[in-house]
Amino acid sequence: MSDQGLRISGLRCSVEGKEILKGIDLVVEPGKVHALMGPNGSGKSTLAFSLTGHPKYDVTGGTATLDGESLLDLAADKRARSGLFLSFQYPAAIPGVKVPNFLFAARQAVRPGELTPSKFRALLLEKMDVLGMDPSFLGRYLNDGFSGGEKKRLEMLQMAVLAPKYAILDETDSGLDVDALKDVGESVKALRASDEGKNTGFLIITHYPRILQHVEPDVVHVMMDGRIVKTGAADLAHRIEREGYDKIREEVGAVA
Amino acid sequence: MPSLLATGEDRAALLERYRSTPSGRDKPSRYFKYDLESLDVDATAAERASGNVTFANVPPRAVVCDLQSAQRDHAELFARAYRAALEPQHKYAFLTLAYGGLGAFVYVPADCAIDEPIVVRYAGGAGESLFPHTVVLAERGARVTVVEELELGATGFACGVSEIVAGDGADVTYAAAQFAPEDARAFSTRVARPARNARISWATAEMGASLAIADVAITIAEPGIEAAIASLFFPTGAQHADVVSTVDHRSGDARSETIVKTAASGAGQARFLGNIRIAAHAQHSNASLRDDSLLLSKRAHVDSIPALEIAANDVKAFHGATVGAIDEEALFYMTSRGITRTEAERMIALGFFEPVIERFPTEALRERLRAALERKVGAA
Ligand SMILES: Nc1ncnc2c1ncn2[C@@H]1O[C@H](COP(=O)(O)OP(=O)(O)O)[C@@H](O)[C@H]1O
Ligand SMILES: [Mg+2]
Repeated sequence: MSDQGLRISGLRCSVEGKEILKGIDLVVEPGKVHALMGPNGSGKSTLAFSLTGHPKYDVTGGTATLDGESLLDLAADKRARSGLFLSFQYPAAIPGVKVPNFLFAARQAVRPGELTPSKFRALLLEKMDVLGMDPSFLGRYLNDGFSGGEKKRLEMLQMAVLAPKYAILDETDSGLDVDALKDVGESVKALRASDEGKNTGFLIITHYPRILQHVEPDVVHVMMDGRIVKTGAADLAHRIEREGYDKIREEVGAVA
Repeated sequence: MPSLLATGEDRAALLERYRSTPSGRDKPSRYFKYDLESLDVDATAAERASGNVTFANVPPRAVVCDLQSAQRDHAELFARAYRAALEPQHKYAFLTLAYGGLGAFVYVPADCAIDEPIVVRYAGGAGESLFPHTVVLAERGARVTVVEELELGATGFACGVSEIVAGDGADVTYAAAQFAPEDARAFSTRVARPARNARISWATAEMGASLAIADVAITIAEPGIEAAIASLFFPTGAQHADVVSTVDHRSGDARSETIVKTAASGAGQARFLGNIRIAAHAQHSNASLRDDSLLLSKRAHVDSIPALEIAANDVKAFHGATVGAIDEEALFYMTSRGITRTEAERMIALGFFEPVIERFPTEALRERLRAALERKVGAA
């Protein structure tokens, strides 16, 4: 169907009165992996938050649909229930809320009634194993006192448990050591290999192309100053790795 | 009505001490409507002094009895602990003593470890006043957990004292959760005097009553002591709660930890004063005070005042506090996982209290607290 996909068109977004996104066009097809690259401050996280419905991010123009359903008028929880997921760059800590209770509530909200608590626990333990997470995580409060790597693993665990239709990973790779990076790559692959996730489309936001050695993108976009300035195949990421962003900036600057 | 204890003290004199002792509290603010300096218990409340005490899980090796039996059958032991931890500044304790008679004595012999929590339950009917006095004496190396329950009737009044005297290396946990009706008043004074290397842990919760006044204190007069106070309170509707915690480090080489979680909703008003005192000679003390306040409505108000008086120079003293509404970033995080905003607020608010709930010793009590908190959050 032609309306399938996470389809973003002419999206504009302001934060505290300042325009950050200046018209974004981007389509993530089901089952595809898109990489979104760009220097710090170019607006990548702003795109992620405006799609997922952060109240501080004011969408001032354009459209965004998920398999035909318009996202922009929905509250954040409804967008998640439509199948959208964001792996946060900086996940919030919530003391007193235990990891499994939170995950069960989220799973029930997104995929109601499919799992009994005991089956859910078995599912959790299985997914945690893929991520190299110790079962002791189940006794901890959500992100409370977690290291950077632990937080990112918990984001990936949530993605695995919720099996979204479209997953945005906002710099899930940044600040990770080699092992953790590999685990993130593995959890994306595991979701794609699963029944629930075989049609999941990914938008992998990254500053460095390291993660793309583990997950080969179908499409690479480069964002600068609130615009997508270049779109290409996987080799675009390799070029950025070799040359950095300056060369591209000169090129597109010359075109503009 | 329980018979009075023969303490040789005159009720009029005790009442005079009650009236003349300062509350140690702030003056009333435009938020907190009670002036605890001038607040008096009317004569009718006192006349209705009543109530009974029952026990559960009484272990064979311990003594658990009412105060009259303690005075008659265990006079020497009882005399060692009765009023031994109270100090002259404990204003509300004088009121309890003035109408004293209802109470419990818990005695645990040396090196005796009791696993099952001993339950002391006070109950009074509608309009009745209770002045319960619980006295715990744990000898050297003893270990015990006491759970105090208080059931008050409508418009009831309670003014109670709990005292712990712990010998060398003893380990005492004392939990008390107050679920009085919303038109009742509940005052409490909880004091502990541990000996060297002893461990004392208070876990208290003020859930009910139109006015709840709670003093909880540990005096550290010997080295090696580990002292813990964990308290939560959550005034909703028109409830007022005033809690003062005091850890007095008079000896060094000891550790204390105070955790207080306060939420308020509706027009609920809460005041918390957290005293940590470290005397000049109490070197190598390690004291921490963590108090967090959560405001769930515009009209709710929490005053949280840490009071650290540290006269020694070689100590560790930590104080951390937060106050505010539910964090928007936390809400967005949870809602971005499909959880509704209402449900996310409920989970965050309940989670807020968990670090204190965990200090309560039985799952039954923890569940009762969670259920009561859940109702309060739901009504907010
Ligand atoms: N919550 C916010 N408040 C104020 N400014 C913001 C906020 N989020 C983003 N910005 C601004 O928007 C621009 C884009 O930021 P961001 O989307 O985080 O970029 P990226 O993720 O590509 O590093 C930056 O100039 C940043 O300062
Ligand atoms: Mg970013």
